[in-house]
Parts: sequence; C-alpha cells; structure tokens
Amino acid sequence: MFKDSADGINIDLLSSSMAPTVRISAVAYYKLYFHAAKHPHQPVNGVFLGTQDKVGGPIEVQDAVPLLHHWTSLSPMMEIGLDLAGQFAQENGLKIVAYYQAQRNVGDVGLGPVGEKLLGRLREQFKDVVGFVIDGEDFGTDKAALNPWTYSGDQWKAVPPSDKPFSQGSVYQLSSPDLPTKALHYVREEGHHQAFGDFDDHLEDVTIDWIRNRTCIPIDA
Amino acid sequence: MSVSSALQRLANYRFNNSRASLDVFKHGQSLLKSGVTPKNDESWEFLEQLALAAIDLDKLDVADVCLQKLGAKFPGSPRVEVLTGIRMEASEPITTVLEYYNDLLIADPTNAAAWKRRISVLRRARSLDKATEELIQYLDTFYTDPEGWLELADIYVSNLLNPQNPFTFVQFAETAYSSGDLPLALKMFLVAIEMMERDLESPETTPPTGLAFRAWWGIKLCARHLLGGASGVTSSPSNTPVPKHLKSVDALATERVLGAYKGKELEERRRLVERWLSSSK
Repeated sequence: MFKDSADGINIDLLSSSMAPTVRISAVAYYKLYFHAAKHPHQPVNGVFLGTQDKVGGPIEVQDAVPLLHHWTSLSPMMEIGLDLAGQFAQENGLKIVAYYQAQRNVGDVGLGPVGEKLLGRLREQFKDVVGFVIDGEDFGTDKAALNPWTYSGDQWKAVPPSDKPFSQGSVYQLSSPDLPTKALHYVREEGHHQAFGDFDDHLEDVTIDWIRNRTCIPIDA
Repeated sequence: MSVSSALQRLANYRFNNSRASLDVFKHGQSLLKSGVTPKNDESWEFLEQLALAAIDLDKLDVADVCLQKLGAKFPGSPRVEVLTGIRMEASEPITTVLEYYNDLLIADPTNAAAWKRRISVLRRARSLDKATEELIQYLDTFYTDPEGWLELADIYVSNLLNPQNPFTFVQFAETAYSSGDLPLALKMFLVAIEMMERDLESPETTPPTGLAFRAWWGIKLCARHLLGGASGVTSSPSNTPVPKHLKSVDALATERVLGAYKGKELEERRRLVERWLSSSK
C-alpha cells in the first residue's frame, strides 16, 4: 500500500498508525486449516513463522507450527512448544510473526486472557505480531475464516469486520483467494489433516513430525 | 449460662474457626430469643455464625431471622449476599442457586467467596468437569488461596477409580505451573514419574513415552526456571520447598528427555531439543 512512500516520511509514525500488510502462504494456511480440521471442537493454537524486512514493513507468513489442542491456560507444554518453535524459526532465518487459535465454542471469537498473554510475550520479540482467531462459523466456506487482532493504544483489538480482512485491498491477504476452498478439498476428499500432528501429539508419540508436518502438505502448496 | 459467657463461647468458636454447629445453635438461639441486640461488630458476626449453624442443622427459620437482621443492617454487603446464597443452597434448586452466584460474580468478578461457593455447588451437583475448570480459573486469579489448592487436590485424588493414577498428578502439576507455583509443580511431576518409572530396570534402554515423556519435560522446565534464579521464581503459594538436589534432577530430566529422540529419522528434532535443553534461559 505505501511500500514506496518511505522517502521523507517518518517511518515510525507510519508503523504506529497503520498495521503492516500480512500475506499468508499456502503452506501456512493449509497447516492452520488441517490443525483446526483435525480437532473440530477443541481449542487449537499455534504460531505463524515468516519474515519482515523492517518494523512496520510487510510481513510474509511462510510457515506454521501447531502447538496444542488441549489447553486452558498458559501451560508448561505451551511454553516449551513456543520455545522450540522460536528456535526452529531462528535456525531457518524466520521469526514468529503471528499466533493463531480456535476457541472451543463456535460463537467464541475473542482472544481470551491466555491468547493475550501469549501475544504479549511474542510481542517482546516481534513488535508487529498479529493474533488470528479462527472463525468457527466461516470455517469450511470459501472465506479465510481468520479474524485478525492487533495491538494499538495499549490493548489488543479485533480488526473491525468493516475492514473486510482477506478481501481485495485489505492489509491481510492469502497468497491466493482460493486457498480455503482448496484446503477444504484436501480435508474432505483426501484426508490430509489426518497425517497432521501438533506438539501435543508429539508428546504422546515422539516420532510425530510436528515441526514440519512434511507428509501432509499438498504438492501444489 | 450467662449472656456474656455465651457470647464469649461463640466468640471463641469464631476465633478458632470451629464449626461446632450444635453448640453454636444451642447458645446462639437462646441469645437470640432473649432479645440480645447486637451492639458492636462482633455481635453482627455472631448473627452470621448462628445463621451458618442453623443452616447446618436445617433450622432454616432461625437462619432467616439472622439474615433478615443482617440484610437490614448491611444492605448490599457482599458478605451478606454470599450468606444468602448459602441459605438458598439449603432449599432452592441447584440451577437457581448457580444463577444467583452467577449474578453476584457478574456484578463483582473479584468476589472470591461467591466464586468458591459456586464451585462447591457444582461439585455437589456432580458437575465435576465444570467445577474443576472453574476452580482452576479461580486459582489462576487467587493463587495464594491454600483452601483452593487443597480443594483441587481433593477433587483430583478423590474422583478416580484408581487413586494411584499418575495422570492426576501430571494434570495437577501443569495447573500448579500455570498458577506460578513452580516448586509444587515440580513436586507433582516427580510424584508422577515415581509412579510410572519406579520399577524401571534399565532407564538407558527404556526411554520415556507418553505421559512419562510429558512429565519429564515438565520437570526439566521447572528445574530450569528454578535454577535460573529469576526473582520470585522459587516462591510457592502452597509453601512447597524446592527439592534439595535440584541440579541432579535437572541433569536427569535432560538425559531422559533427550533419550527419547533416538534414530536417524528423529535427528533434526533431536538437535532442536538438545539446543533447548542446553540453554539456560
């Protein structure tokens, strides 16, 4: 949107008043989707890994690392999973740029105290970190079904629906608008989500590749 | 018994937090009947005490008299409101009572007493999952309440077919950790491991799996924080001491966790974990 307007303008002023653009790759979106699809009535959460050249600049979400599907508060396992995800990101030249979660109840689209605490911690390492709450009602349709939350004025606020995130011209974009439809296909027709595992699964069975989830990624991603 | 000695007796019970409902009721009721009107703070406490004893003995009419006087003197008092709730528990349907406590909590989410009553009603109504969930939430906020911790321990321990279930202790440990009580969390994780691995003959060839794996991770995390020495990290609302041989525990946990990552396929994950284990954030 204002990528080339940096000359002569105070970047700090810009970054504090406008949220940076966020583009979500197919791999990242599919992983989030499979995570949520595998545990339909449970509160899943995880992080997005990506790059950003400078504070306030555009964010490219390249990958996702799923954490838990069974939590009520900031548990020890969440902390360990987050640490390991952060390490993995660093080793691969990436950063934790966002956090995602689905709540247990379809109608519940808030961040909640745990989400906020977690985002607060992530924000210490990455100033423009975004929270994405999976919208249970839109999930399974052709919509992205992600409600973004950003930090402004000392608190976490949902991006207003009138901003139409993930629609044309929005600051939030999927790398391709048909990702939700494709993801649904991979779940329904090909069961990709069944091979998917998060950190919780890994704790049950150490052979589960929660960090990469290579086997469940579709070839076209 | 004279009026003053009866009052003294009741005061003693309050001081010692003794339930003694029969005795309290006997003396309290006669005092009430003789028209003893409360003159100071202590005397209002007597009414509360008598109300509780009366409810305990199902003498609800006496409880109602006490409540009436208290309500008139302290309108809108949270303490009286909770007492009213307790009185309702004796005769109203559970849904009514729960709704009542709900309303109190909506009006004032910091009303710890109302919260605890609600949890105990849920527990009696056999909504154990809900009771536990709310108790955990309660302890997240009021984490220095030893009564709350004991209640949680009681729920976990008394509601299993097999009381020697290590899952209980892992769950308890994680709750304690989330509430900031690291020494308690560590202790519970260790108890769970003791249960699961005490008969392990050769640990080197038997890496931990499933629940034990999770517990060893928990031990490692706790030990690391406790050794890290950040301020306040060793403080324990439940007064659990830090174990003596913390460094050995930490070393053992490191070994056990790492031991699970064997074989070429797990190599990348092993390196990731190894790096985490050896850092001392």
